[in-house]
Amino acid sequence: MDPLDLTLWLLRLAFLAGIYGFLVLVIRALRRDLRQASDAADRPLGRLVVVGSPSGDPAPGAAYLLAAANTIGRDVNNTIVLDDSFTSGRHAALTYRGRSWYVEDLGSTNGTRLGGQAISAPTPLAWGDVVEVGQVRFRLERPGGR
Amino acid sequence: MAMAAGRASRVRPRWRGREARLLVVVVVVLAVGWLGLASTVAGELTIGQPAPLVVLAVMLGVVHVALVVDGRRRDQVLLPVVGLLMGLSLLLMSRLPQDLVVQSLAGVELSLAGIQLLWIGLSLAVAATVAVGLRNDLWLRSYKYTWAVAGIALLLLVFVLGQETNGARLTLRIGPFAGQPSELLKIILVVFLAAYLADNRALLAGRDSRLGPLRLPPLPYLLPMLVIWGLALATVVVQRDLGAALLFYGVFLLLLYVATQRRDLLAFGVVLFVVGGLVLYTLFPHVQDRVAIWLDPFATAQGAGFQIVRGLFALGRGGVLGTGLGGGLPTVGSGPSIPAVHTDFVFDALGEELGLAGGLAILALYALFAERGLRIAAGARDEFRTLLAAGLTLVIVVQAAIIVAGNAKLIPLTGITLPWIAYGGSSMLAGGIILGLLLAVAVEDRPGAAIERVGWRERLGDASRAAAGRVERVVR
Repeated sequence: MDPLDLTLWLLRLAFLAGIYGFLVLVIRALRRDLRQASDAADRPLGRLVVVGSPSGDPAPGAAYLLAAANTIGRDVNNTIVLDDSFTSGRHAALTYRGRSWYVEDLGSTNGTRLGGQAISAPTPLAWGDVVEVGQVRFRLERPGGR
Repeated sequence: MAMAAGRASRVRPRWRGREARLLVVVVVVLAVGWLGLASTVAGELTIGQPAPLVVLAVMLGVVHVALVVDGRRRDQVLLPVVGLLMGLSLLLMSRLPQDLVVQSLAGVELSLAGIQLLWIGLSLAVAATVAVGLRNDLWLRSYKYTWAVAGIALLLLVFVLGQETNGARLTLRIGPFAGQPSELLKIILVVFLAAYLADNRALLAGRDSRLGPLRLPPLPYLLPMLVIWGLALATVVVQRDLGAALLFYGVFLLLLYVATQRRDLLAFGVVLFVVGGLVLYTLFPHVQDRVAIWLDPFATAQGAGFQIVRGLFALGRGGVLGTGLGGGLPTVGSGPSIPAVHTDFVFDALGEELGLAGGLAILALYALFAERGLRIAAGARDEFRTLLAAGLTLVIVVQAAIIVAGNAKLIPLTGITLPWIAYGGSSMLAGGIILGLLLAVAVEDRPGAAIERVGWRERLGDASRAAAGRVERVVR
């Protein structure tokens, strides 16, 4: 066989193989992203650490793991149940929307405060912000806890 | 002062390792292709004149560096995928007869590959500018009616002043510049639809008005959208740009489904499409011609069906592994083997030289682009961005599907371009804008990043108050 023909044939196969190699690399990258996304879906999205509670229950330092939607209140149907006389049955909601956290007051009697200020509308939160629900004060922390 | 410092610390360069690696693979693959092409043409082992390939590699590198310097975290796969498609385009355009298109620009005579390289460069520049520069999308979504009206005005302008090419009045020529505004219109339409649907999604998902057995969203909210869309579609139909009409209709329907999640609307749209298609078929002779050619191109193999027949022959010559780049049949007599091979029939030309394997790989590249685009849509910050990313992705995918299916005689042929591969300035620029917008939407911000910036002053205030309080206690 003519060496040139053989070379061209090999180049042809190498080119196609290269394109498929690229496809494999891209698919691997996509799979890794997908796996990360599904891992992230299982992991908690944040932690709510108790920094102060006058009644001592929940104890300061205790942490609640947060899903994407959380409600706080005295009623047992809340994701975070507080046995505190200043807390309403359904007091506040913490939701993770888009890529940030929001806190919302659900019409409580004593209000929900962010950094000492009572909130009236859903308000965005940053890591480390302190939220007061009734008399209990929480700090929003990263899920890893640093 | 302090704000400026805060901003400066936010734009630190961030390495994009995955993108860099993939781009290197792209360039190596293209170099192998170039080697094969040049050697086949010359009849000896040679790299030929690799200047265009080097230019493409440098341009991809520049876009990569621009994204690295910008420093915001975002998708790293789109650029290499589009880069490979552009590279395939360059290989094909270098390989086709160069005298298909000749233009002289500022005294320099440019032919097919040169012009295409120029457009690829401009397209990448636009993509990088949009990706890095578009930080606030408010002007995109606030002025949605202005956009829609501007787009339709542009089309009307073409209708009055445009030139006919291949029986369709598509090209607008102002001085030395010529363009096909329908390429731009498809982006404008997606921006409009995304903004409109994002604002009225909840209302559109309702079922307030009835039409026979169907419960439709409240008509007053459906109407502005339908009017704008109908105008765009009518203009396109009058201009006989059937490919664009099909594309607009498909993207409109799919985007409506993405926004409202209502299958009955989708089914209703398909029924409307069938009815509309039948009406168009009876009204317009050129639609009947297209269908007749599609049903049996060999009946008019030397006449109207010639293009399709040549395209099918090319695919057949390619077989499974193809003839190799440069090994196909470029010309018959004086003309190209397939009429309009560089615009409408690029897929058949690539199918001939890369075979079934190469053709499937190209389709896979579009599929990967779609996965990536829809993932960006799913992770976008708000509804407008979600719909914008989904719409732009759908434009590319539906367009590629329509033209590839047309080339392969799966559906009647309508002349639109294969995104990023076909020859054409408007199409390439539109592709650049779409890539740029997707990369702009793909920017991931750290959780609470935007808020931290606002809260920074307050936090300093808190800290100083705390310090002051401690001092006060000590003093007391």
